[in-house]
Amino acid sequence: MIATIARKEFTEIVRDGRFKWTAAIMVLLLLTALLAGFQKYNTQKRIQAATQGETNEQWLQQGDKNPHSAAHYGNYAFKPVGPLGFFDNGINSYAGTAVFMEAHKQNFSIGRPASDQSAIARFGDLSGAMILQLLLPLLIIFLAFTAFSGERETGTLRQLMSMGVANRQLLWGKAIGVAIAVLIVVVPCILIGAIALSTADIEASDGLGTRVGMVSIAYLLYGTIFLFLTLAVSAWSRNARTALMVMVGFWAFAGFIAPKAAAEISKAAHPTPAFGTWTKEMVEHKRRGIDGVPPFVKFAQYTKELFKEYGVEEVKDLPMYFVAVRLQKLEEYDYPVFDLHYSKIRNSYTDQRRLQDKIGIVAPTMPLRSISMGLAGTDLIHHTKFMDDAEAFRRNMVVKMNDYLSKAAVSLNATFSASNYMTADEEVFAIVPPFNYEPPTLSETLDEHWINFGLLLLWLIASVGIAVFSVNRLSPERN
Amino acid sequence: MLKLIISHESRQLIRTGALWSILALLVVAIIFAAWSGSRSMARQVEGAASADALESGLRGKMRADTEKYEAQVIAEGGEYQFATVRHAPGAGPPQGTNAGAVGAETAQYVMLPPTGLAAMSIGQSDILLNYLPVTMGTTLDMTKNLELENPVNLMTGTLDIAFVVIFLLPIFILAMTYDLLSSEKERGTLAMIMAHPISIRELMASKIISRAAVMLAVVLVLGLISLMAVGTELGSSDTWIRFFFWIIGTSLYSMFWFALAVMVNVYGTSSATNGTILAGAWLVLVVIVPTLVSMLATTVYPAPSRMELTIASREAQTEAEKNFMSKLDEYYYDHLEIIPEGDKKAMDFLTLAQANANAIEKSVRPLYDDFQVQLNKQEGLVTRFQYVSPAIMMQLALNEISGTSADRYEHFLQQVYAYHQEYKDYFSYKFLAQEPLRPADYDNFPEFNFAKEPAGAMVGRLVPSLLGMFILFLGVMLVPFMALRNYQVAAR
Repeated sequence: MIATIARKEFTEIVRDGRFKWTAAIMVLLLLTALLAGFQKYNTQKRIQAATQGETNEQWLQQGDKNPHSAAHYGNYAFKPVGPLGFFDNGINSYAGTAVFMEAHKQNFSIGRPASDQSAIARFGDLSGAMILQLLLPLLIIFLAFTAFSGERETGTLRQLMSMGVANRQLLWGKAIGVAIAVLIVVVPCILIGAIALSTADIEASDGLGTRVGMVSIAYLLYGTIFLFLTLAVSAWSRNARTALMVMVGFWAFAGFIAPKAAAEISKAAHPTPAFGTWTKEMVEHKRRGIDGVPPFVKFAQYTKELFKEYGVEEVKDLPMYFVAVRLQKLEEYDYPVFDLHYSKIRNSYTDQRRLQDKIGIVAPTMPLRSISMGLAGTDLIHHTKFMDDAEAFRRNMVVKMNDYLSKAAVSLNATFSASNYMTADEEVFAIVPPFNYEPPTLSETLDEHWINFGLLLLWLIASVGIAVFSVNRLSPERN
Repeated sequence: MLKLIISHESRQLIRTGALWSILALLVVAIIFAAWSGSRSMARQVEGAASADALESGLRGKMRADTEKYEAQVIAEGGEYQFATVRHAPGAGPPQGTNAGAVGAETAQYVMLPPTGLAAMSIGQSDILLNYLPVTMGTTLDMTKNLELENPVNLMTGTLDIAFVVIFLLPIFILAMTYDLLSSEKERGTLAMIMAHPISIRELMASKIISRAAVMLAVVLVLGLISLMAVGTELGSSDTWIRFFFWIIGTSLYSMFWFALAVMVNVYGTSSATNGTILAGAWLVLVVIVPTLVSMLATTVYPAPSRMELTIASREAQTEAEKNFMSKLDEYYYDHLEIIPEGDKKAMDFLTLAQANANAIEKSVRPLYDDFQVQLNKQEGLVTRFQYVSPAIMMQLALNEISGTSADRYEHFLQQVYAYHQEYKDYFSYKFLAQEPLRPADYDNFPEFNFAKEPAGAMVGRLVPSLLGMFILFLGVMLVPFMALRNYQVAAR
């Protein structure tokens, strides 16, 4: 029986003008988005790999100089796109793409692609993810809102119910009919995307197959949620136009209003200071010292301790290269200040993201969006890890250079005044291993996204529940 | 007759719950948007003030040192000297006497002042930093900082009044109008009305006028209230000129959506079909077309890669460092007239840093300018293609009205570059001439005064968008009104 209903529903949909139009637009846009995303992804990937190689080479070829000056010259970290970046570009246009790693200073990422685009770019990226997040539900709504309400208006619902079909059979049948119609639009596009993907030079990163699988499941759940919600509203509303208005309203809320409102609420709950405000606090704190003792006072105390330890009275009698010790010590006094202030920013971002994920309970588009970016490797979790790796690299680079300076000086029996002439060459610079970004593993990524899968499941259960409930109370007339 | 129907329609509207719930939602949205827009602006203003306070504090400290030093010189006799050696601990003249140290180690923050309506359309102001540190360094260092903001929130975008107007207002308008004629036809009341001495055009006009009047009145009242709540500089005529254009723009944009609803009602069939078409039209015009135009702009005029630029500027830096003697000569060559007579070239860290900065600026500046060139081309393309979607026209218009447009930012940048040159000249002259800075000199540092664009420039950029919306409105409105004559009043 269900199969018959499904076949009837499917045939009716496919013959309708609505289907032809919306399907054609959807296919066209999805293909455009996938191809454009794919082309952009390849370019970005190529540039990233090339520039990271070049900057590593520049570090080595910077010319003979004092190792500490080399640490000032520093190095750059360039952010890779993420394994599924061609499908979901996530925050990539809005997060910086490069970090400068130098002595004495931790830096924010620079080079947001969005600042090199016109203001119209803020309407959004046309990506595969965007099409599936916004257009797919609308397609489903358009195809399904008349499922019950249309039959009620034309009077066929009365006939149908008089034939003794169980209401639930009706629901499943219609759901399957619509689902098949939607799938024959979407699946070919996805397949084309997958074929393009297989020809691409994508490194077999951690669990690529699992990522693709889980993203597909998430989008499938999302589509199903909208399908059952639309059927529920269709069964319950007086006429087709009411069903349509309710669902379009919900769609606009879920896709446009809720994410923005959630972002604003999270900004108010966990404020991020403005650049100027933050800089003032950080610089003043650095000068004051983390514990209220200014770094130079602290270093003077440290020097006294050294004198006592070695039983000497002057710097020149210390059995070490004092300049390097001073550089490294002053560097280390700044670490806790950097840690405190940079983690303030970092934590405000993470807290905002977590709060937004929680607010996601009001709109299924929100958890889906998070999952999609997360598994594509283009979300905040990946960006944060990249920034952490860059800072770890920076500290290691500075330690290695200052360390070399101090040891080399001791072996050369250098004195305080020799600092200007201490040079290092390529061989020395090579003791700093090249920058390597270890993206979060799949399981680390998933740990932050279980809540989103949970919310999607909750929405699925709720939508099926509401649909069953509405259909059980189905009546041929409603006034 | 028209008046009678309008009053009848209005009474009917007031008694339906739908209108009130739509208006209530609109009110909530506008209040929320005013709140979040003003928070965003307040944050930027506070950031600028803090950054300025930090640098003024540093300068104040240097100035205080020179005052102490001056008093000491006067008391003990002797010459007021220039601190030649940088990083000089303790003794000698303080760093504050060295114009190079003051100009390079402290910054003068320059700010793009927000307009009175800035909180109503955030535009790109959450990405581009509206306050920049001017130092003796390169202009590249000056513009590399970004406003701190969670990239997730940047991607999502601000829920400001511009969003409510561009995205939500059309939805509310369409919800009120998608079934204007079709519902009367479906209920069978249309034929009855048509039995009265009234033309279908009059009926349509009165339906639209009553709804548009309610909607516009609400929008204008709320606009005014939010201006009062989040607007600044309410005493300035500039604010009121901008608000005037805000009203014009919002009205034109709303009228377009009313007209579109009329058109679909005239050609459409059932209410459900009208609703589908209008929802689809909203999606296409407000979401799809803008993203396509943006994609077109970035595909035709792609920005150069920031990553590749970084590599190029590093090469310039290495080059400058390797050939530092020749770069130093070059630097002195630029300032031949101010080298102290008989003095040897200074070789200290600061001079070298200045020479380096100049060399880097010279070789990398053209690469940076490519970004602005491509961006301007993108903006040009968007300006030419804006007519394909009222949402693009409205976004451009609102950014222009609120002073958060790309053009105004570039206008600001050009002034900043000029000021940077003046700043560098001032400090490097005194530095190279080894002329000591006295406390009184601190009052004579070059100042940045943002020269407002003439109102005509803003209006000039605004007019194409407004005119475009008006023409689009007329086109969409007139065609169906002509066709209304043949409207089938009874369901077939």
